Amino acid sequence: MFRRLMRPISPSAKREERIFYLFILPWLIGLVLFNVGPVFGMLGLSFTDWRISLDNLQFVGLENYRTLFADPIFRISVGNTLYIVVGRVVFGTSFALLLAILLNQKVPGIPFFRAVYYLPTVTAGVAVALVWIWIFNPRLGILNYTLKQLGIQGPPWIFSKDWVKPSLILMSMFSVGPNMIILLAGLQGVPKELYESAEIDGAGNWAKFRNVTLPMLSPVLFFVIIISVVSSFQNFTEIRVMTEGGPGESSNVMIWYLWENAFIFLQLGVAAAVAWIMFVILMALTGIQFRLGRRWVYYEGEAR
Amino acid sequence: MSTKQLSRRNFLRLAAASSTGAVVGYLGPLSNIASAQDTVELTFGRHWEAAFRPRQAEYDEGFMERHPDIKISITYNTWADHNNVVPAWAAAGTLPDVIYVHGSRATPWAHEGIIIDIHDIVVADEEFNVDGMWEESVRLYRVNGRIHALPYDHGPIILGYNKDLFDAAGMDYPSEDWTMEDMAAAAIELTDPNAGIWGWDGRLDLGNGGGGFFTGAWGGTTMNADESAMTVDTPEIRAALNHWYNLTHVENAGASGTEMEAFPNSQPFRAGVAAMGHIATWSTPSMRALANFEWDVAPTPMGADGSRYTGAFGSGYGITPTSDKPDTAWTYLREYLSLEGMIFMWSLSGRGSPARPEGLEAWLTSDPAPPSGRYFLEAMFDYAVTGPPFQSLAAAQVSNILSREADLLRLGETSVDEAIATITEEGNAALDSVADM
Repeated sequence: MFRRLMRPISPSAKREERIFYLFILPWLIGLVLFNVGPVFGMLGLSFTDWRISLDNLQFVGLENYRTLFADPIFRISVGNTLYIVVGRVVFGTSFALLLAILLNQKVPGIPFFRAVYYLPTVTAGVAVALVWIWIFNPRLGILNYTLKQLGIQGPPWIFSKDWVKPSLILMSMFSVGPNMIILLAGLQGVPKELYESAEIDGAGNWAKFRNVTLPMLSPVLFFVIIISVVSSFQNFTEIRVMTEGGPGESSNVMIWYLWENAFIFLQLGVAAAVAWIMFVILMALTGIQFRLGRRWVYYEGEAR
Repeated sequence: MSTKQLSRRNFLRLAAASSTGAVVGYLGPLSNIASAQDTVELTFGRHWEAAFRPRQAEYDEGFMERHPDIKISITYNTWADHNNVVPAWAAAGTLPDVIYVHGSRATPWAHEGIIIDIHDIVVADEEFNVDGMWEESVRLYRVNGRIHALPYDHGPIILGYNKDLFDAAGMDYPSEDWTMEDMAAAAIELTDPNAGIWGWDGRLDLGNGGGGFFTGAWGGTTMNADESAMTVDTPEIRAALNHWYNLTHVENAGASGTEMEAFPNSQPFRAGVAAMGHIATWSTPSMRALANFEWDVAPTPMGADGSRYTGAFGSGYGITPTSDKPDTAWTYLREYLSLEGMIFMWSLSGRGSPARPEGLEAWLTSDPAPPSGRYFLEAMFDYAVTGPPFQSLAAAQVSNILSREADLLRLGETSVDEAIATITEEGNAALDSVADM
């Protein structure tokens, strides 16, 4: 084994290796300086009383973490985050898959609809959020107007403690463009022969979807879910523009809690601790997903 | 295919051109250094809206003519972002020389070293009349008894009313002897659900300037004098909040939080669908620009015992520790915050009531000042008090709690008793957390 690893490398391979490292060097430097470095820098700062200046920092050990776990609002923010992440991932991914399947049909006008569903993604997040404030307006919004035409009294949406989180999840379903495109690409990569074989075996549409489409799409779905979980944790624009964590603390998510501590309360040490807790939760969730993924993700070229 | 060789002559031409370019390129920065030695650049962090920037530019051009050795350079933030951008600047060590400081930020920013102690500079300048400023306005910027910034404006919150709606209802305008009960009775009478009209705009502010409007009439304050404890769990505050709650959610004479959202900036009064609302001097320009009805102001209604009380608040400027030219910064501020500077910037433009009483008469002549604008002056002289929280290091946390509970009350998502209990518990916890700092 060791001998195999240490086998001599030809001069051309060595040269290729050097060129490889040379080419990835700018990215590597960026990664260390702007990603890995700050992540671990933040870990160190989370054990200090950092407020604004980095001079005269005092080491406070786990005090910032103790403060967080004793703060009921932090616990609320964790709960709100998980609620919104689960909602966004479950409903958002399902909706993206549904759209991808619909947009994978061979009917006229499909390119137009693909563009329409992708459009919110290329629109500035703040602009989208501002539009949604009006869509959700209980008195003047198009949503409640439409419901009223159907004889339904619309809810107060983002202006209610009970409705704000479902509203944000609902809103997120209109920004599924990137996931939809990825899933669409995945669907188009499913070999047609598999569907033909299934049809010969007498499979109906549901059986083909369940036994061909889903397994073949599982690596793409897995990727979409991982990315959705991460982006849902980091989603800040809507909260900043639309709810500022309210009403009450009902949409106070971890990223908002972090921002408030950093830039309103000037407790940057506490904010650093929140960032690290988020990082750990995200790493744990991603690890769990990879472990569970072994059970349901099918890689065609994987040696089993 | 034709090929062209570089002749010796062309080579020499190219070399000469390159050398000249190199020399010019080298001398360029030198000439900049020479001019930079003649002028000092003074940098600012401000947040004015686009409409007010020409006024600022006009002032600065005049200043630079008087001081040709000083060059003004401004970074404009939005109002919503300024208070978040400044700490980021401070953490990065990129603060400008002079920054806008909202009254509620002076204490925490002074504590964090975002603004410097300018007490000695101010006191030593015999020509700068700091005593000519409202003490209520300077109070915002005194930290441990020392001045850390200086105010440019300071204004009270009084009663505004829509004359057209009063006329349409055949009712008398609010009078000087109105009590809160009179105001509530008028609001109920003016409310017309079929026409989409409320008697009162439903606003409820519990912190800073807005805090005193309702609560003060009953003799209550949200915090004790040194801002070490919340004082909302009192019969006075409970009576004040119940009065507001009854008016808004029981009598439906005020727009609820949900209803307010249908109007720009959540202001039904400015939109012309609420007969009364509370109004500050700094909000009169937007009223003048956007209200398409006749409006005026009246004194804040009195409490049942005949006492009158309201909140006041304002903003100012401070010098940052990263500035390597605090003397130059003071040269600017001493003129900008002088009576003449304030009259030019605030009084005549009507953008806000100046922090110097002597500038208020000029403010009354400005376009945004309402016909009975003198009531603002009376409030400042007689009964307005700078509203908490602003002295505590936990001021931002307490403000958040107050505004969150006020929002929930407006939305009808909490009761007065619940709000009082939450404010007391969370507010005191926030104050305790900074007690040793």
